[in-house]
Amino acid sequence: MPFHRRQVLGFTIAAPFALALKPALAAARADVSREVLLTWHKLILELVRHTATYMPPVAARAFAYIGVTAHEALASGNPALRSLAGQLTDLTPLPARGEGEFDEPCVLHAALEAAVTGLFANTGPTGQRAMEKMGQIMGKTASEGMAGDVVDRSVAHGRAIAAHVLEWAAGDGGAVIENMGFPRSYTPGTRPQDWVPTSAIRMQQAPLLPAWGQNRPFAVPDMASLDAPAPPDYDEAEGSTFHAYATEVYETGKALTDEQKLIARFWSDDAMLTPTPAGHWISIVMQIADRDALPVEVIAPTLAKLGVAQADAFVSCWSTKFKYNLLRPVTYIKRHIDKAWEPLLITPPFPEYTSGHSCQSGAASTVLTAVFGEDFAFDDATHVDEGLPVRSFPSFAAAAEEAALSRMYGGIHFRFGNEAGLAQGRAVGAFAAALKTEA
Amino acid sequence: MRALVFLALAAPAAAEPAIPQFADETATAGFSTPYEGEWEYMVGGGVATFDCSGDGFPEVFLSGGSGRSALYLNRSAQGGALAFEKTDALGIDAVLGAYPLDIDSDGAMDLVVLRQGENRLMRGLGNCRFENANAAWGFDGGDAWSTAFAAIWEKGQSWPTLAIGNYIDRKEEAFPWGSCTDNWLHRPEGNRFGAPIPLTPSYCALSMLFTDWNRSGHPSLRVSNDREYYKGGQEQMWHLEPDQPPRLYTEKDDGWKRLRIWGMGIASADVTLDGFPDYYLTSMADNKLQVLKDAASGKPDYADLAFKSGITAHRPYTGGDENPSTAWHPQFADVNNDGLLDLFVAKGNVAEMPDFAAQDPNNLMLAAGDGTFVEVGDKAGVASMAIARGAQVVDLNLDGRLDIVVQNRWTGAEVWRQTGAAGGWVQLRLQQPGANRDAIGAVVEIRRQDKVERHEITAGGGHLSGSVGWLHFGLGASPTAELRVIWPDGSEGAWLSLPAGSFQILRPEATPEPWVPK
Repeated sequence: MPFHRRQVLGFTIAAPFALALKPALAAARADVSREVLLTWHKLILELVRHTATYMPPVAARAFAYIGVTAHEALASGNPALRSLAGQLTDLTPLPARGEGEFDEPCVLHAALEAAVTGLFANTGPTGQRAMEKMGQIMGKTASEGMAGDVVDRSVAHGRAIAAHVLEWAAGDGGAVIENMGFPRSYTPGTRPQDWVPTSAIRMQQAPLLPAWGQNRPFAVPDMASLDAPAPPDYDEAEGSTFHAYATEVYETGKALTDEQKLIARFWSDDAMLTPTPAGHWISIVMQIADRDALPVEVIAPTLAKLGVAQADAFVSCWSTKFKYNLLRPVTYIKRHIDKAWEPLLITPPFPEYTSGHSCQSGAASTVLTAVFGEDFAFDDATHVDEGLPVRSFPSFAAAAEEAALSRMYGGIHFRFGNEAGLAQGRAVGAFAAALKTEA
Repeated sequence: MRALVFLALAAPAAAEPAIPQFADETATAGFSTPYEGEWEYMVGGGVATFDCSGDGFPEVFLSGGSGRSALYLNRSAQGGALAFEKTDALGIDAVLGAYPLDIDSDGAMDLVVLRQGENRLMRGLGNCRFENANAAWGFDGGDAWSTAFAAIWEKGQSWPTLAIGNYIDRKEEAFPWGSCTDNWLHRPEGNRFGAPIPLTPSYCALSMLFTDWNRSGHPSLRVSNDREYYKGGQEQMWHLEPDQPPRLYTEKDDGWKRLRIWGMGIASADVTLDGFPDYYLTSMADNKLQVLKDAASGKPDYADLAFKSGITAHRPYTGGDENPSTAWHPQFADVNNDGLLDLFVAKGNVAEMPDFAAQDPNNLMLAAGDGTFVEVGDKAGVASMAIARGAQVVDLNLDGRLDIVVQNRWTGAEVWRQTGAAGGWVQLRLQQPGANRDAIGAVVEIRRQDKVERHEITAGGGHLSGSVGWLHFGLGASPTAELRVIWPDGSEGAWLSLPAGSFQILRPEATPEPWVPK
């Protein structure tokens, strides 16, 4: 029986927390924590867009670490929450709280401020200014009316949580991004199916982050076990399976409906122009949190799991991409079908198989379905500021499937890359969904 | 003789263009105005050059940011060392850039000053004296972060139409993204300006240029926008037809193609010699060279030939810093007088962005004659690592060799005098009676071999930097320049043969007037 949205909230989300009814003051402080969490994330979405190194895999990584930071900050003072230490690869127990009173909003704010300024230390002057201003605003919001010693103690603890996470993050292989993620030299493959650059942008004559697939995963114990199966055998002959897949992209692109164009652009989620695919799904959770007035104890672990799922999905997908090093549809189509053809979207500068957006959307939808349930309807206004309309989805799975299909509408992926990516992402996401965040 | 000259010109250009040599005269030229300020001045730092003393030598105006701007009178002797005298004539605070324009066509150059706060129209009173004419001319200077400018005389108007680009809402501290404020179009109402017309939507313009991109006779307004701050934005172009409200080019109606870059500056020239303007757009990392794909289609659909032409200028070419570059003022000019347009780009980090080059040398890219360019900034001596912003490539000492002045963030202007052997050149002043004395919107056509190179005379573009003065054309070994002027009203002047090495004042239906620096 499909669950109604309110039923889901009533029975599976609100219930555990309703058992621990808090006094009015605690409830008020929880509201402040919620504001702190969501307002910082609003800024993070902007920072991702406006920090030059924040390509989609890099953004997903940051969302994961920030999500874990926020969850651990709360978990360190809430016995109903369970730490992810010991569950995530190489994450050791986080600093415990010492003696004395702590204030949750102050802990959370300090942890987020330290994590965000650490992860976005390389952002530009406007981002630096915004982080500083946000630190002042949220610091004031969090500490208003609180005793000074409590604030100081809480801030110190929050910063210690963040420092622990940042130290952990430094060793995952993804901490240093040079040249916006593009190798300064690159030797292309020599097989006919090998990826070749698809743009006239000088920096993008090498593929983005070719070693990303070797990064330490968060929740997946054996990334190789989740590798996608090999793509269809490469073939340039008309009538071959591969040629048929390319023809499907070509014919679809030539006859796009307005709705298909809209879908392609809605999920385009370009780096440096949007919060990236991972940020899109973070934005979805933030909108649901706002609509359903979710408590901070639900939002934080959800963001942590979502971040972990998406980060692992990019590691898994990138591993596959550089294993098969498959060319993009635009390359094949121009060589073998129509040299004048252009896709609707700008082709991303890295190999095709599997689709990154499909993979991380599959992972995201798996986590969110586990948290909120199947058939959980929601509206997505992520790109309203960009002039794109709100889209409505009957479930997270449906949104992920549309995201995957959008890549073929955009002319940047074959159908098989999307479908394999979705499956790969779902498998990755299952590990994040299985993380225990409640005691 | 004529045949020999033609043969010489028709031969393929040398693969190794002659490298001009520059002497760094920063220490002695007399400039002492840095572009100061923090976040509110992270863009801007414009340079304006124009003659307000009447001696034909260009004065230099330097923006000062949070400090005061300054006008420097040109005291250089022809061909001599560069020498400037600072004046208080245009000492204004909060200036990001400026463009000279004889707004009231009285023969005394005026200056459009773009500021944090109210923009100012500084009316030239002669002898390098100026007054704020906002009130007298009905000009609403607004209160914004103004970062781009362009001007054109619309058909039938005796006063120009001014376009002013604006940037971020500076009151938005935590969430400035998506806060781009409206650009303005100041159209004349007789001999004053009407209320500014908002050019909505606006996307944080850092350069604007009126250009007749399709040779329709109706220039359009190109706007290059900084994607860092807009949402839903892109590069833009506006239709501007007489007595009609400005209308945006769209994908649906006009075939406009979406491009989203960190737009910082526009340089325009017919470098491909196809008869249509090409546009170099500066950005971060790769820069663009836009070339019209198919003029016959009537659609503003451009190919990016920067990579093919070797002018992506995406990262430093010297100094060892391999991070991506940050490009600001671009300018086409024939720096080595070989008859081919070269490209200068001022470079410098926004502030201290670690992902972009901290040691980011200016580019001087010489045309090789085969459609490609060769980087020679270091060999020519202009590869400064200062944090450059605005600039002008201009003949400061009227010896026929282009010099370069660059305004830098925090450290002040640098100036290089070109030395060494000069190839052939001719320099023109266009002067027409009545309105629009400097013939903004005219086209100079210069015949080179079997091609005609078209030069639009524009006011605007670059990065908050502009010039009115001698128009410089390199001639290579040719003893004469074969050229004509198509005046802003569309009337076509006769083809002229002007001697190399001369300054000429051209007027409609008049014999060229030679001019000699005194």
